[in-house]
Amino acid sequence: MLNNIRTAIHPWAIKKLGRDWLEYLASNTMNVVTERLDPFIWSYDCKAKIIEIRQETQDTKTFVLLPNQHFKQPLPGQHIELTVNAGNTGEATSRCYSLSEINGDTVSITVKHNPEGKVSSWLHQNAEVDMVLNISSPRGHFVYRDQKKLLFICAGAGITPCFSILKALDKKTDRPDIAFYYRSRTPNETIFKTQLEQIQNSSNVNISYSRHDDAGISYLPNQLLEAYPDLKDRDIYLCGPEPFKNAVLEYLNTIKYDLNKLEIEHFVRIDSGISQTRKFDEDVTVFLKSRNISFMIEAKDCDKTLLEAAEDQGIHLEHGCRSGMCGTCRTNLVSGQVTGNQLGKSIYPCTAYPASAQVVLE
Amino acid sequence: MPSKEHSNEQRFDEIHQAFENIKEKHRKDLGQKDVRYIKGIRRYSRIFEVIGRALIWCLPGPLALLGVPFLFLHRNMEAIEIGHNVLHGQYDSFEEIPQFHSRKFRWKAPIDEAAWRQEHNGIHHVHTNVYEKDPDLNHGFLRTNSKVPHNKWHYFQLPIYLFFVYPGMLYNFNAQNLGGNDKFRERRFPLGNKGYAVFDNTEHLTDDDVKIRHNRAVWRVLVKEYILFPLLALITGYSFFKVLLANLLADMINNYWIALTIQATHLTEPLQSEDALKNKGKWYVSQLDSSVNFKGTRWQSILWGHLNYQVEHHLFPDIPAHRYPDMAIEVQQVCEKYNLPYKSNENWWQAISGYMKVLWRYSFKESESLPVEASFLEKEASHAK
Repeated sequence: MLNNIRTAIHPWAIKKLGRDWLEYLASNTMNVVTERLDPFIWSYDCKAKIIEIRQETQDTKTFVLLPNQHFKQPLPGQHIELTVNAGNTGEATSRCYSLSEINGDTVSITVKHNPEGKVSSWLHQNAEVDMVLNISSPRGHFVYRDQKKLLFICAGAGITPCFSILKALDKKTDRPDIAFYYRSRTPNETIFKTQLEQIQNSSNVNISYSRHDDAGISYLPNQLLEAYPDLKDRDIYLCGPEPFKNAVLEYLNTIKYDLNKLEIEHFVRIDSGISQTRKFDEDVTVFLKSRNISFMIEAKDCDKTLLEAAEDQGIHLEHGCRSGMCGTCRTNLVSGQVTGNQLGKSIYPCTAYPASAQVVLE
Repeated sequence: MPSKEHSNEQRFDEIHQAFENIKEKHRKDLGQKDVRYIKGIRRYSRIFEVIGRALIWCLPGPLALLGVPFLFLHRNMEAIEIGHNVLHGQYDSFEEIPQFHSRKFRWKAPIDEAAWRQEHNGIHHVHTNVYEKDPDLNHGFLRTNSKVPHNKWHYFQLPIYLFFVYPGMLYNFNAQNLGGNDKFRERRFPLGNKGYAVFDNTEHLTDDDVKIRHNRAVWRVLVKEYILFPLLALITGYSFFKVLLANLLADMINNYWIALTIQATHLTEPLQSEDALKNKGKWYVSQLDSSVNFKGTRWQSILWGHLNYQVEHHLFPDIPAHRYPDMAIEVQQVCEKYNLPYKSNENWWQAISGYMKVLWRYSFKESESLPVEASFLEKEASHAK
């Protein structure tokens, strides 16, 4: 019965109170009792509950998620990192998934089953409605920036971020000129088929499919200029499997497309086994989880402290003495690595330096 | 003489290293002991809360006062031994206790945590006793040294604080941390904020943000203490006002207790130069010089949130406070070796009367401008010449 009450209360609480108030109420009433009563709301972690699972194609499912109050409102095109205890050993494994839909308080991810992938296998085989998953707040720069003419180029499950931008733009009255190019193996494997057709019928979005055994006209990625004569005027959003992205990139290079107008979605993967002695010299992305912002540190700036690097980007971090004595800047490392002043998972940004390509701080 | 200067520099390097060694030793030793300690304190706080609220709720009339000391213990431990120390990040490195991580912790006190961390950890602990920098030198509008320009409010500072500010001391903190006090002085004082530290709005808060942050911090306490529990008593057939008054009494005692604890540890000490921050050894010395301990047993220290070990707290603000009594022995040895000031009052009362005298003395305008007491570093420098 308690479960039914919780199932009924969660969407209501998040909708009526809003995440901000819910956070205020939950964080101030957190104790051993409330944490047991409802670990979804009384939690320090960003979590999401699966509230619906839809079969999109034979090997693709959409999971509609209700995130708790720690989730920040996403922008269409952004992605989340999902962590599950997958595989035989049950160790925590993470993967990034673009949000395919953003609907008020819920978000969806659309996942293609990759038999070798631990997380997608787990989602396809074990996930059930009402299960709670650990997710991150939305991240990423693959978002619409008020351009006038767009072209989405996507393939397979790579349609997800493009689709969520498309749906958001479709609702706008002053919609930009949108062209949408989608490559999939067969018509049956076309994700969001009916929804795409609806959008195509109801508005003037130009959607074209590229499929191996399609009866209609079908352009290959290296014929894009024929399909879209105004291609060079358009801002391109590219997302898909690695070989597809490379093929398109190569093609765009040969036709001398201005690559500044190109936005590619790729997920930064956390690399492990960083040497602690050598100075790190790659570009670093730093995420500030609680504030849901991120900033870049260029390779040449990796000898700056995290605090200085943030300040260079105009981001204020709490700090005091700037020399590791007062502890004001102290924060916890969620993932990634740093060198310098640290104590277990606690690090002191004023005297710590980045040491992995991605650093996630609380 | 370069050699003398050199040896002087070396001395501060050694001092710095000596204190770093103490810190490093305790950082290495952090572990289950600290987790058990803070969890234990929380458990006691809960037990005291249940006893206190139950007695206040159920006992008739004046007998309900028996619950007040228990409720006071709960609120006091939550406010300082848990809240103050946790917000310093003393327990951040223990992953298994997220409830005691500085950025996740929520105070059972009417103070906005983020603004407090910035003001207290980032400013007071860095610029301790620095004129026009350290907001804790005045806690509103106190005049505690002759450098602060005198005005007519200061004649009454002692009674105003004793009777009106201390009973609600914690409710005054947001005004200090979010800029309310600056506006008050701007409006009421002829010279405005001259002589006072002003709020540095690092979070770029608008007036509305400030209002929301303040209200949220205060109302979570007011609703619990003065609406929720009195109402619960009422609907179960007990007196609404009995509970309200008892909670008010516990709240006031707690506010008074904390005010007398925190004010007794810096105001009697000399002003410090801001330059000390440029050299880590000198910074440690300026922290020694601007803080004063008062003695008490380990149990008493818990009720003072270990703020009676103010010297150790200012040297090592993010080391779990229950370690200060042990660290104090090591700190004293370093002070003896390098001939550094280590100040301590014999008891709480001596500390209180000492700083009350300061409040009284600076209530009045000096007939002639008094020289400001020099800090240890300044005295030492002039002595060397």
